[in-house]
Amino acid sequence: MSTLKQFGWKIQKYFLTLMSMFRTNIREYGMFIALIVIFIIFSFMTDWIFLGAINFTNLLNQTAYVSVLAVGMTLVIVARHIDLSVGYIGAFLGAYVVVSVENGFFLTKILTAIPGVDGTHWLIVVAALLVALIITVFVGIIKGALVAKIKVPAFVVTLAGMFIFKGLLMFQTNNGTIPTTNNFFKQLGIGYLPTWEVGGYDFITLIIGIVIIGVLIFNGSRTRNKNNMLKIPNEKIEIYITKLVLMISVVGYLAYTFSSFRGISYLLLVTAIVVSVYHFMTTKTTLGRRIYAVGGNPDAAELSGISVEKITIIIFISMGILALISGVMFVSRLQSASPNYGPFWELYAIAAAFIGGTSAAGGVGKVVNAVVGSIVIMSLKNGMALSGVDANLEPIILGGVLLLAVVFDIFTRNVRPIDYIGIHFAKKKFGPQLKETQLLFTKAKLELKEAKRENKENVIDYEYKLTNAQGALNKVKDLIRTSKEKDFIIE
Amino acid sequence: MNQENILVMNSITKSFPGVKALDEVHIEVKKGEIHFIVGENGAGKSTLMKVLSGIYPYGNYDGDIIFDGKIKQFHNIKQSVHDGIVIINQELALFPNLTVYENVFVGHEISKGSLMDWDETKKQAKKYLDMVGLDVDIYRYVSSLGVGKQQLIEIAKALSQNVKLLILDEPTAALNENDSANLLKLLVDLKKQGITSIMISHKLKEVEAIADSLTVLRDGKTIIRMERKNINEQEIIKNMVGREIDDIFPKRPIYKKQEVVLETVHLNSYDKSVNRYIVNDSNIKLRKGEVVGIAGLMGAGRTELAHSIFGNPKNYKISGKVIVHGKILNLGHPKNAIAAGIAYVSEDRKSDGLILDEPITQNITISNLKKISNSGIIDFFKQNQYAEKYIKDIGVRTPSILQHVKNLSGGNQQKVQVAKWLFAEPKILILDEPTRGIDVGAKYEIYTIINDLVAHGMSILIISSELPEILGMCDRIYVIAEGIQTAEFNIKDATAEKIMESATV
Repeated sequence: MSTLKQFGWKIQKYFLTLMSMFRTNIREYGMFIALIVIFIIFSFMTDWIFLGAINFTNLLNQTAYVSVLAVGMTLVIVARHIDLSVGYIGAFLGAYVVVSVENGFFLTKILTAIPGVDGTHWLIVVAALLVALIITVFVGIIKGALVAKIKVPAFVVTLAGMFIFKGLLMFQTNNGTIPTTNNFFKQLGIGYLPTWEVGGYDFITLIIGIVIIGVLIFNGSRTRNKNNMLKIPNEKIEIYITKLVLMISVVGYLAYTFSSFRGISYLLLVTAIVVSVYHFMTTKTTLGRRIYAVGGNPDAAELSGISVEKITIIIFISMGILALISGVMFVSRLQSASPNYGPFWELYAIAAAFIGGTSAAGGVGKVVNAVVGSIVIMSLKNGMALSGVDANLEPIILGGVLLLAVVFDIFTRNVRPIDYIGIHFAKKKFGPQLKETQLLFTKAKLELKEAKRENKENVIDYEYKLTNAQGALNKVKDLIRTSKEKDFIIE
Repeated sequence: MNQENILVMNSITKSFPGVKALDEVHIEVKKGEIHFIVGENGAGKSTLMKVLSGIYPYGNYDGDIIFDGKIKQFHNIKQSVHDGIVIINQELALFPNLTVYENVFVGHEISKGSLMDWDETKKQAKKYLDMVGLDVDIYRYVSSLGVGKQQLIEIAKALSQNVKLLILDEPTAALNENDSANLLKLLVDLKKQGITSIMISHKLKEVEAIADSLTVLRDGKTIIRMERKNINEQEIIKNMVGREIDDIFPKRPIYKKQEVVLETVHLNSYDKSVNRYIVNDSNIKLRKGEVVGIAGLMGAGRTELAHSIFGNPKNYKISGKVIVHGKILNLGHPKNAIAAGIAYVSEDRKSDGLILDEPITQNITISNLKKISNSGIIDFFKQNQYAEKYIKDIGVRTPSILQHVKNLSGGNQQKVQVAKWLFAEPKILILDEPTRGIDVGAKYEIYTIINDLVAHGMSILIISSELPEILGMCDRIYVIAEGIQTAEFNIKDATAEKIMESATV
């Protein structure tokens, strides 16, 4: 019996630990919950088609261009700026690359003069992308310099850029849709990595999944060991393992889903590479450290020897390069360039960053969370279309979700650590005291009511008594609420 | 309860997450007196005033406020103002882009129906400004006035709201001697007109001069109430810190001359935004292992001098030279100064010293990222090891190196700032107001660190508004007034009077 009881307590303790961790770090997990809720709702509404292999692959392909923009936008917002121009810049650069490849334009036209090089040659695509890269870096430098050196608000600079590139886009496409024929666009936009099918499943995708899982396990245990060596506190082992199991199941599910359809699309691959590079850059490099320092406190950063100007320009260049990638992805997926592409891209990216918890005040925000934010946005679009909801409802619901996310972020800004195990013990320890003070408080309340009704002269004495009783009660309540075990969350 | 009391705050308790800011605090203020609340930083003075003025609404604290014989439950600052309690905070709540007369009546405008009555507004504003003895053109924009005059406008604003109890939170902290004296005189005048004031102040000389009574707070508790006849500085300090402090400044051996490490040669800085020279022909020398003080009034150009030396982050127009270890320093960007071995611990740690939303580790290592990285990639284990070492050496009290800096007390934040700059391994350290807003205990620790550093051969430049600090810590002193270097003293010749005389040219 006692071993059974002990076992029961162990399980209870495990769940209390998880709850404490969850409650204490609610800010980090809110967005994942939102995503799960959205997934579940749409799965029910669409008879599980929503999470099925075909639609899920499709959803991530649709999300690619927003994710890439949102990654760059997160850094822009972290540095306390905004970039409204990237939608049209992306669309313009996409159109530029399409026109260069399909019709020949400046450099690509010259190249086709070389014997043996025609519109389908790889050199043409490379040349078009290279020129587009030079253009976007140049534009990024101009935007960054205007913002950082001349101190024009980024809102105004990039609003101007938005108009300018809308016009350039219309010139570039000659106000008409240009279909793509080059294999490059076909591969990138609707192609998949080579597959090796065994029994209906793509083996390559599965192997990639297994490698990622291996890296997760290896990396995690390496960090824990090193922390142990340096006596830096680690997460509790049960929390760590729970998280690991969750991550492995997500990676496993993704690998399984992709492998049962057509494997990994190039769009997904490019997105994954971009996100990995930026995640590494922001969390592990000195450049990332400098960017967040500039966003957190520009004056302090400048006095710490960081050139705020240089960092700002770098951020706008990075945003421009991502706009190029995003634009090329978009035209490839739709297999055409069009003057109608561009609007709202930047706004989706901004919304994704905010849904992902990026702070409008600067200095706080994670690129991976911005990607989750963009998946939330595109899930709404995709899911509602799939379940046959009136399309007019979609922007309204998206607006609501954005507002909710930001309100949630503000409400959870000052959440204090809560340890349910500590509370569990404190409740036992202070239980009698709590009951006693509660009784006294109710009594004092009644007495004051009585005194007021009888219009006694010394009502104020009863008021004193009540406040004192309330104070005593609050003290006990506070004591219980803030109780913490020594090994709370970490070990 | 005494009939004369205008205000009683009875067993006020107010908790923040993890700390009890006020613990059963009791204060009494008699009608028509000037009551001081003194205590170290973090003793709960400002919190108490925020409870009183309704900034922390009723229900957020325990205990009673009895004002004018009635229990008050303020839910916001509007209600307390309505009852005649007006608080003037350290950060003034004026609108710099409005004129003087508009500012006096912001929030309680004089109107006919829903239209502004500007004539009456101007007339009334003039009246209240006369009452506080401020002779200034009422059409001027507040941004063009000095802090001293702005403070008087705040008081005029309070008077125009029929104030009964005026609360001033460290009103003289940002004022020079002259303006401070004026303000104190005004408070005494107002007292004669029946206005009660509560004043929070760190300057015990002020307390001695005009207090009718005072309450000492320590660690959120009421320690003692003193009446006029018992008030003396020693007694107040003893109650504030809970111990006798006979020597605030740790001793250091007498300085022996060594080589010059930092020198400014005819350094001039012109600030385009105010159209004048803020540093005017500065020629200072700092030697190895020496502590040199820069004294002067607020706005004399001391911080500007430090900025000019430290890579000119505000883009002044500079002429002249700064020579460090015999080489001319490039004044293009702070990073050049850092590379030359200079570090600058800024005056305002919150606005331009620390990144409050980031952990201690990030704040300490930002000054020298090369030391913890390999080709641009950060070694987190190195980072944490260094952070552990530096906070241990400096004595930062924190549960963890991953604690966000905004959760630390002022003294500990200041120590993190110092640790950050020691991490850059400087040879020359410029400390701008190193002990502003931190308590006596933490001050002593900072002074000990300074002595330790110079003993190891560092050279230190201290900028400070506190004369005792300058006199207690420096080997040599330069005095600056309106950007001009007016005097230089060896410590054995320096007195507070001589410095003040040179500072007020």
